[in-house]
Amino acid sequence: MSDLALSTTAPAAIGSGKRGLRIVQFVSIFVIALVMISPLFMLLIASLKDDRFQILADMGSFRAFWVSDPTLSNYREVANFSGELAYGRYLINSLIILVMTVGTGLVVNSMAGFVLAWGTLRGKAVLLAIVVALYVIPQESIIMPLVVMMSRAGLTDTFAVQILPWVASPLYTFLFYQFFAQLPKELYEAAEMDGASTFRIYRSIFMPLSLPALATVSILMGIESWNQYLWPTLVTQTDYARPISVAIATFFGQDSIFWDRAMAASVLMMIPVLILYLAFQRWFVSSFVGSAVKG
Amino acid sequence: MRISMGNRLLSVLSASTALILMAGSADAKTVVTMMHQGDPGWVKAYGDVAKRFEEANPDVDIELIYAPHDAYNEKFSAAVMSKQLPDIMELDAPFLANYVWSGYLQPIKPLVDKDLLDDMTESNIAQGTYPIDKDLYAIGLTDSSVVLYGNKKYLEAIGARIPKGVDDAWTREEFEGYLDKLSKLDGVKWPIDTFRGYGIKTEWITYAYGPLLESAGCDLIDRKTWVAGGTLDSETCVKAMTMMQDWVKKGWVVPTSSGTNQFYAEGQPAALAMGGHWFYAEASAAMKDNIVVMPLPKIGEKGVSPNGTWIWGISATAKNPEIAGKFVSFLLKDKEYRDYAKSQSAFPGLKSFAADSPLYAEGGPLAVAFEQASKTAVARPPHPAYPTLTSAFMQAVDKIFNGSDAQEALTTAAQKIDEDIEDNAGYPPFDEQQ
Repeated sequence: MSDLALSTTAPAAIGSGKRGLRIVQFVSIFVIALVMISPLFMLLIASLKDDRFQILADMGSFRAFWVSDPTLSNYREVANFSGELAYGRYLINSLIILVMTVGTGLVVNSMAGFVLAWGTLRGKAVLLAIVVALYVIPQESIIMPLVVMMSRAGLTDTFAVQILPWVASPLYTFLFYQFFAQLPKELYEAAEMDGASTFRIYRSIFMPLSLPALATVSILMGIESWNQYLWPTLVTQTDYARPISVAIATFFGQDSIFWDRAMAASVLMMIPVLILYLAFQRWFVSSFVGSAVKG
Repeated sequence: MRISMGNRLLSVLSASTALILMAGSADAKTVVTMMHQGDPGWVKAYGDVAKRFEEANPDVDIELIYAPHDAYNEKFSAAVMSKQLPDIMELDAPFLANYVWSGYLQPIKPLVDKDLLDDMTESNIAQGTYPIDKDLYAIGLTDSSVVLYGNKKYLEAIGARIPKGVDDAWTREEFEGYLDKLSKLDGVKWPIDTFRGYGIKTEWITYAYGPLLESAGCDLIDRKTWVAGGTLDSETCVKAMTMMQDWVKKGWVVPTSSGTNQFYAEGQPAALAMGGHWFYAEASAAMKDNIVVMPLPKIGEKGVSPNGTWIWGISATAKNPEIAGKFVSFLLKDKEYRDYAKSQSAFPGLKSFAADSPLYAEGGPLAVAFEQASKTAVARPPHPAYPTLTSAFMQAVDKIFNGSDAQEALTTAAQKIDEDIEDNAGYPPFDEQQ
């Protein structure tokens, strides 16, 4: 009888325990999501208020999350603040820089990663160690010599100066190396036996299998390129190749901050990155989960 | 037919020659580069002035180089390193001594119109003068100051005396007495906002808190021997900083985390605000008539207020300094530019601009700020070590406000400053000044 009682109450206890765990999980996820989303929501709300002083006055209270009289005037002003549709130009500039950096970056870093993983290069281990070592050097420490180099090359105030220095990256080369190195050796050997050249093996076999790695690098590289601020500040001088990140800084003046327009411009700047993330989200997550499991 | 072919060839040749000549004449334009910062309004104002100048001087092309305010020093360093200094540069006044000592600027007096030089206020001259040769290296339309803003209702509730002018400023005893009373008043969460929210990466701390030390009777550095040790960490400075630390400990000062809007935010939780002249626009927009503008309090025997803002200098490497000077003169006299500056509550640095600024004129809401400029303004130490000085002082103040010992923090800062001066062999000829 007692056994029977145990056998009937135990699953119920486990069930309620599981339910409790689920509730805790749900609440935790909800709180984390709220913490993550609330600044973005506040940004969006503030971008719909047309009084910059009011935005500042509302900060720190729940009124920051509420707009009684929404307006798109900030977006209109942002679009035309320095000439007709100047912001459109900055957005396009940023997109050109992003597409070119990511496009060439994928090719260069994947090739380097492939050679490091499968190539018959002498001193490969040393090269790999150098690549890893280079990763720990902060960008800021090399930025001034890089400015001088680019200036001497006559590249100041161009698109090239914002793309070229960031195409080859130790981090992304290493990511590709790690991914390629995990693929079965038989794949390479079978292709080699079939007479495929090294480039053919890279292009036709390894690259199609690397979608998660390509997605991860695209997103990381894309976000990095999109958010670049100090570098374009140093190397751009006019509107010609100025990206949106630097243009937004215009709203932060010496005596006044135009929060209304800065918020609207920030929303505009966020949209392409969100689209990029949503488009590649599945591969991005699977790649991270994959590397976590394998690592 | 042949004739016609010949004519056509001739016309093509003529057109080509004309094009080449036109291209030649375009190339022959004198290009003057100007690096500046500023929000969209200022950026547009400079762009419009440049257009008007180019219309009046068709042989000159003004190229504007924009640098964000927060990254201006980095952009400037990059220009120095890549040997691409602009012809005209906007610079923050306290950095002038460093730039002149480094050889980046040339004297501006021979390059700008004399009537502009005669029009400068004393404070404007002080901010653009290099102390070694006493020559003027930069000029501006504007200047700046910090005043004490008060919530009228709160001040009336505690029966505070409202100073009528700079000579009438609150004494330390009065000031601390009012802070104490305000701390006990209903509705007041913090008696004062000293704008800790601006953080320690801006010039604010040195700019606004330095004068309180000077008013107490000490300084950030000895301005004769250019030694910080014994001055910045003197007993007077330590006592002054301990006084401010005490305000923070008592919970009288708006914390960094509460931002810079507590004076006029919902419920008006801060009763006083030690803010720049630019703060008036946002505070008065929210508080209407419930605001009084007062001079900074006298912590010691004399009142001291800050000055200095972004001014224009001509680089030593300018290819056409005369034309650069001509443009600076044109800019400072430009009516639309002045109108825009006025619309932004800009603090006048030229007498003619002051006469045209009702906000700062006698009886105007910010008249006391302008009075401070002529009576109590003290420029930040004009020494090439200023970048180190300001950074060391800001870190010290941050530590003190977070509970560190004032003597220890100020001594560390003084040592850092003196080490920098020593590392640069005293920044000759500053080391010869006594």
